[in-house]
Order: sequence, then structure tokens, then C-alpha cells
Amino acid sequence: MRSLLDFIVKHSYVFLFILLETLSLVLLFGFNDRQNEAFMTSANTMSGTLLEWRTGVEHYFGLRRENTALLEENARLRSLLYELTDSQCVETERALSSEGVIAARVIDNTIRKDDNYITIDKGERDGIAPGMGVYSPDGVVGSVMVTGNRYSIIMPVLNGSTSISCKIKGSESFGFLEWQGGDPYVAQISDMPYHSIVGIGDTIVTTGFSSVFPENIPVGKVAGVERSSNGYTLKVKVNLAIDISDLRWVYVHSSTRDAEIDGLYKQIK
Amino acid sequence: MGSVPFIRRLLTLVLLTVLQVLFLNRICLFGYVTPLFYIWMIARFDSSMSRSSILTWAFVLGLLIDMFSATPGLNAASATLLAMFQPGLVKLFVTLDRHDVFVPGFMSMGGRQFAGYLLLLTLLHHTVYFILRSIPLGDWSVLALKVVFSALLTFIFMLVAEHVSVASGQKHS
Repeated sequence: MRSLLDFIVKHSYVFLFILLETLSLVLLFGFNDRQNEAFMTSANTMSGTLLEWRTGVEHYFGLRRENTALLEENARLRSLLYELTDSQCVETERALSSEGVIAARVIDNTIRKDDNYITIDKGERDGIAPGMGVYSPDGVVGSVMVTGNRYSIIMPVLNGSTSISCKIKGSESFGFLEWQGGDPYVAQISDMPYHSIVGIGDTIVTTGFSSVFPENIPVGKVAGVERSSNGYTLKVKVNLAIDISDLRWVYVHSSTRDAEIDGLYKQIK
Repeated sequence: MGSVPFIRRLLTLVLLTVLQVLFLNRICLFGYVTPLFYIWMIARFDSSMSRSSILTWAFVLGLLIDMFSATPGLNAASATLLAMFQPGLVKLFVTLDRHDVFVPGFMSMGGRQFAGYLLLLTLLHHTVYFILRSIPLGDWSVLALKVVFSALLTFIFMLVAEHVSVASGQKHS
């Protein structure tokens, strides 16, 4: 009995090893609880603050370029505003009242070829919720995956799990944009109907079918078209409109239509 | 446990975490190659530390890196596993004297032995890290490339760190 106790005391580190390793693997593979997820990732306040500090320093050096980009965006929006007729104004105002846009700063950004995430400096207290669409003046970025109180993590287009409903601008042919890994500037629409008229250089925009994105946010341009192996659909290669590695500001799209649409989907299921 | 080594280890822990999270995680050569230099702390654990204390420090280090890198459990698991084998790896390259405190390094082990120790340690850690990260496992050749080239980069960082620490040690003495 004594020698058994001695053995256990002498090798107590083995039990500690098993305990710590099990804990790590549970964290790694057993993650479903959003609250834990927010705590364990860069959406928590401590790491968010650290990343924000780094971004603050980095952004300072890019202020001139950022200012120019914002001015250009302003000018583009103004020119759109002048083009609107009175009746369109009323319609737009009505549409906007149910849609909100929250501006957020990108504080961390991983561009690896297998898994990519973006952390932004807005969270639940700013009205951000999982599932909301995220875009920049250049185009679609992705959707909110995890929210913390002050920070959120975005799953960008460059993530195997992202699927965005999009169409060819000016036509009604639509499909789902997915990223196959590899090149961070190219994604693919694999289920475009065979009868669609698609040309190289055509602009791809969001459909607005789901409440995640408003309609007509740029996604990219067609780089190539080929027939799928099943013969009924087209595979469209898309050059993405945004360069995620150079992303500094994003808009999060919050729509009050969400609840109603979600409710309807639940009824179907 | 003496408070001076404890505070020194705590400072190393914070410094390596900050370095890894703020700067090294941003390095991504050819889309695959990222140095995981934080394991430097585990490589330098000395023979005065108990096995349990080595495991605990490594686990905390890995968990901290995970919290800042959106990879829950990944670094904690691979760092803890490395810590379990670190004392054994040291013994592969040197015969330990029971009375003296042994710190792995150029001076204490000799250049060739120390380089071999670091390389083996890095390869072990990176293999576990990239396998866990790539589950479900797909392309083995890509996985091997990631392991080998990231390990080489980490290895170079560690050689530079050792060079700096030896040079600054000589300046002080």
C-alpha cells in the first residue's frame, strides 16, 4: 500500500499531464458555447484591448491613405444622393429605417490559407449580433461569427464555412459564393443555373435575399466560367473585390427584418 | 519555489506572449509558414524545476497564446505535450549531474548538441500543433511542408535569441 502511494506521489505529474492535455483538447474540439468561445478568443476584453492598442499605432502611420479613401467614399455617396429623385428618396428613407449600419475598426486580421478570422472593435453593447453581414466600401467581407461585449469576430469570405448568396449585376441569375482555399483573391460560385448569361469581367453583387446583406453590395468580377461536372450548372470563378489583408474599416449591417425572416424560416423547418 | 525565478519566469511568459501575438502571428510566409517562437520558454526550462511545474507553466503559456489568437486549446495542447517530453529530450543530448542546476544552452551543451536539441524539440511541437490544427487531416504533403518550414523559421528565431542572450551574458560578466 505504501509503495503504491509512493508511486502515485512520484508520478503525480503524469496525472497532471493527462488532466491538462484533456482540458486543452476539450477546449479545442468541444467548443459550442458562445459565451466560452467569446472568452477564449480575441473577442474577449483583455486580448481585444491589446490588439486595439497595436492597431492604434499601426493606423496612425496610414492616416493619410485612410483619409483619401474616406473622401473618395464620401464623394461617391454624394454623387449617388444627387441622382436620387424625390420619390426614390422617400422609398430609400423607408428602407433605411429598417436597416442599420454600424461602422467598426478592424483590430486583428489573420490571412492564412486554411482558416481566416477578423476581429473588430464593436460588440454586443454596440448592437452587434452573430450572423450580421459585414462589408467595406470595396465589397463584401463576411459575417459576424462570435460576439463579445466590446469586440466581435468576423468569419470572412476567405473561410471554408462561408457561403454568400450573390448574382450577376443586372441579371437575376444567382448562386452561392464559396472559397475553396488557396488564393486569397479568388472564390467560386459553383451552382449558377446553366442558362445564365455570364461574361468575363461581369460584376457580381449580393442578392439581398437573406437579411444578412443589403442588395447590390459588390462581391467581385467574373474571372472564368466552366460547366460543372453534373452538366446542369456553371462554375464561375470570381476575383474578389476586397483585399482582406488591407482592411481597416468595415460596416456591419443590422437589419430589423431579421427577426421576421428568421421566424418564417423556423416555421418552414 | 524561490520568488526571483518565479518573477523572472512570469516576465518571460508575458514577453513571449506579447511578442508572439502582436508580431510573430502576423508573419505568414507563402501563406503557410508562421514561427511559433514562444516555445523558447519551454526549451530553456532548467533541471531545478519539477515536472509538474514545467507542465503547468507550459499549459498557461499555451493557453495565453490561444486566448489572443482565436485558437482555443490548440497551443495549450501542443505546449503541454512538449513540456512532458522536454526533460527527456535534454537527457538525449547531455548526461545530467544531479547536484547542479542545468539550463539548456550553447554554453552548457555545446553548439552542435544544443542545435540538435532545439531542432528535435521544435519538430515535435510543430508536428503536434499542425496535426491538431489541420484535423480533419487532408493533404499530408501540405501538412509536412507546414511543419518543416515553420519549424525551420522557429529554429532560426531561437538560434538568434540564444546568440543574443549569450552575447548579453558575456557583456555583463
